Amino acid sequence: MSLPDIIKLVPRNAAALRRAQTADSAIRPVAGNPVSTRLESGVGNCYPGLEADLRNLERRFFPFLEVDIADTEIRIVAVDSAGVTAAALPDADAQKYRDLALGISQNLPCIISRINGNFGPFGNHDLNIAQLSPPGAASTSTNASTAPPDAWTAIRLLPENTAISLTIRLGTRSISLEGRRSAYLSGTGSLAAMFEPGELTQSLCSPWTHDFRDCGCFYWASNHPDIAQPPTPDASEPGVPWLAAVPWERLDRSIGSTPPSPANTTTPEELGHYAINHQWQSLNFVLEGRETIRPYKPGKFTALPLASREELQLYLRYAAGLELAAIQEYLSAAYSLRSPASLPAGSLRNRVTASFAELMRIAYGEMRHLRAVNNVLQALNGPAYTPALQVAKTIPDAAGNQRPPRARILDPQALLDFLALEQANRGADELYARIYATLRQPGFGSDADCQSIRYIMAEGQDHFETFENMQVWLQGFQPSQYLHQNLVQAPASNSSYQALQNAYRKLLEKLYAGYQAGMPQGAVDINTARGDMVAANGFGSAARAVINAGFLLSFDTISDPRFAPVAPPPGL
Amino acid sequence: MSLLPLPSAAQAPGSYRFRSSLGQHLLVVQHSQIYDLPEQETDADISLDHTLSQMLARTLDNEVSLDALSLPTVQSLSLNVSSSCNLGCSYCYASQGNFEGKQSKGMDWEQARSSIDRLLATANPQAPLTLGFIGGEPFVNRALIHQCVHYSAQLAQQRQLDLRYSVTTNGTLLRPEDHELLRQHRFAVTVSIDGGSVVQNRQRPMLNGKRDSFAAVIEHCQPLLDQPGKCKLAARATANSLSLDLTQQFDAIAALGFQDIGFSPLRSGSALALQKHDWPVYEQAMISLASRELQSALQGQQIRLSNFATALKQLHVGASSPYPCGAGGGYFSVASDGDWYACHRAIGNHDYRLGDRHSLDAPKRLQFLQERHVHAQTDCHTCWARYLCSGGCHQEKASRSQASCDYIRHWLTFCLQSYCELSQARPDYFTHCLPTSRASTTA
Repeated sequence: MSLPDIIKLVPRNAAALRRAQTADSAIRPVAGNPVSTRLESGVGNCYPGLEADLRNLERRFFPFLEVDIADTEIRIVAVDSAGVTAAALPDADAQKYRDLALGISQNLPCIISRINGNFGPFGNHDLNIAQLSPPGAASTSTNASTAPPDAWTAIRLLPENTAISLTIRLGTRSISLEGRRSAYLSGTGSLAAMFEPGELTQSLCSPWTHDFRDCGCFYWASNHPDIAQPPTPDASEPGVPWLAAVPWERLDRSIGSTPPSPANTTTPEELGHYAINHQWQSLNFVLEGRETIRPYKPGKFTALPLASREELQLYLRYAAGLELAAIQEYLSAAYSLRSPASLPAGSLRNRVTASFAELMRIAYGEMRHLRAVNNVLQALNGPAYTPALQVAKTIPDAAGNQRPPRARILDPQALLDFLALEQANRGADELYARIYATLRQPGFGSDADCQSIRYIMAEGQDHFETFENMQVWLQGFQPSQYLHQNLVQAPASNSSYQALQNAYRKLLEKLYAGYQAGMPQGAVDINTARGDMVAANGFGSAARAVINAGFLLSFDTISDPRFAPVAPPPGL
Repeated sequence: MSLLPLPSAAQAPGSYRFRSSLGQHLLVVQHSQIYDLPEQETDADISLDHTLSQMLARTLDNEVSLDALSLPTVQSLSLNVSSSCNLGCSYCYASQGNFEGKQSKGMDWEQARSSIDRLLATANPQAPLTLGFIGGEPFVNRALIHQCVHYSAQLAQQRQLDLRYSVTTNGTLLRPEDHELLRQHRFAVTVSIDGGSVVQNRQRPMLNGKRDSFAAVIEHCQPLLDQPGKCKLAARATANSLSLDLTQQFDAIAALGFQDIGFSPLRSGSALALQKHDWPVYEQAMISLASRELQSALQGQQIRLSNFATALKQLHVGASSPYPCGAGGGYFSVASDGDWYACHRAIGNHDYRLGDRHSLDAPKRLQFLQERHVHAQTDCHTCWARYLCSGGCHQEKASRSQASCDYIRHWLTFCLQSYCELSQARPDYFTHCLPTSRASTTA
């Protein structure tokens, strides 16, 4: 049988809890590498591979044997004699393994000359290994009338646990063995115990670091970054200019009062091929995107749960309002950027292009958050649920105070305010942290609800870092170089402004209807709203029209109680 | 002599899925683990449950293996101090104490003293010890009880042993000096009383016929109920085919002041034993009474139905045992002639005689435990309730039937549901549950 991807069991009695509290099975958050650094996320291929040489997975395809695989030869290099003894095999079979082990210890050639078994798409064959070809030299058609092209491919195609028989040439003797093709994984889903530490990487190109030295971004898994934020000279919280990414393998390993040259300027000098082999250990650990040279202290989740379900509802409804307010400000700021086409080709145009794209990406992210908060509210309220689509009356600022949301241009102050809005453990995140702490309590929220809120918090961190990047991209330029000039608040009578308000109102109406109906009934309305946002003549074109008329992108306060502003909960 | 483990049957179910008002739950049979399951629209996935239970079945370091066979130290001893009784209950397993003539005289001080000496000398001094008195009616031989308690309490104090006492009595012979003895020492007093005056006098008549036993229980137990001191009083009622209005019987006993009331169904040895058609009635009566207690527990009260309260606490700690009791393991009963039997209900039964005051017959004791391990019970070893019910009383093995086992399974399912609901609504109810699983007394 196959287990579902996730089955969440909640221990209820002491006997069940004991199993969650033993040292070897306790489930607790630990500081560690993200999933993208695990073996299964590694860049592995077979020529020979970067994280691992996957060819090595076939080295133990037959019980108790370890083999070296060439194109037309499979050589037995070791026998797991202890495993043979423990398996209590019939005497005759155990003796064959003993003979093989003895022969190998005497340096007799020990070659698998034939494999008889099922080779997947090639069907059943009695393969003469010596008659196979190097990869690429043979036909690659797959049918029962052709044989696998080379020895490694042949072994790779043998389905796990199918019966196979080997003919082995030990010196001048011939020995036959029958068994089942070994499985790659243990019953717990981890790599089978027969594989030894280092076995999957033992045949990487040597020195494999040569490869790494010349690879570009996005090819390696995140445990081998090309660029990272530099280590800071002291433990204080870094700001600009320490936010810019630098080459991880830079030649200059010193840490001074100024950061190394950023990776995106003229290419700084990096360690050479041989230097990197000798100085590999000088490359710094990268945690949370920054090279870390001091003991790492993971943050602790200390948010307090809310007092009641009623308070939770207030927080969630305000959270939805906060997302709407953020969407309004981010859209306003994004459209205040000049059109890249109006800028001369070069660095500034690229930075403006990136800033607009990222602002829109973040705005879309907030729309997903709005949906996620509404999903949680729907789960909490059942049939009594009403959509939360009221914009926040006030939102947190950098000083921890509240300010009303407003239409704005993307000047440095706006970026500071946006950072405050997204900053961990301040304003918005404190709000979500308390919501999360509450939902985690028994009887408050489901696992799906908790995951939804965690996802919002995690994306908030991503948004924060993106705004930091935006600060770096735009520093050194005057706002007048990249922003539309002299944008003013549109009069209510302006036709393009009215068209924008109508488009926005229509979006809210569609979302309200879709959320209210739930899924799948509400899918049509939600998709219509989504389509209107990105359609050629949709929301985007209405927004452009307002900007082109010389006005700020702004949104009217709506008096309809469904969309009227919502105040923050008391005490936030 | 072999201490090889007794593995469970390959086809034994590893889990049991049930529902409460909270949703779906999974009982992992090994070590009685209870989990909440995510709500699914599909029915129970047998292969998934099997896989989960396999993954979770591991025995932890601080748990006793359910496959293991061992000869634990004897921590509990009951002395058959009396072979006669002043009541003539029709269904008495002990024939008023003489066990159909196999125990014709009461115990003397010498036999009692040597048994006490042996218990105190061989028990694990770090674990609690229990000395019990049984009969017949133990207080027919009141002087011996007093003598045994004073003697053993002094020794226990000298040796710093945690010695506790128990007595099962009909309650009709207790005197002020007995009350004082029970109050002064940590006695668990079980009073056999079947209900109100009508039921009690019908089922538990006085031998001399002079007065009703119900009035005698009230007269002789009331002072203790009013001022229990260190003793814990419990009432134990026998339900037979003529007395299945359990709520009425319960209320009548509770009205006397008992806060801990349990029922035992009469399974054999009498024309009034429950028959196939009685079990569903008994089940309904038990669940109806327990449901009422559950509602009061949800309102902050204590549960007085001991069958229910004990089951809930055992489910909370994950009680899980291959034996229904300590018979032959941590518990023995001494007959008046000084022979040690695995169970007080089997005095005179050669199969249960496993030693005397000088020594225990280890091979015979091991064989006794092997044969009675739930994995060796052909009609139990493939039941999901095998470590909660553990096969039930050895003496009543012959009376096990589909109907009586269905009752046990239905009752346990109700208890599992109730545990989930009560632990959700009132986790504080279980705060003071001590991990006193039956496993700890049999291992």
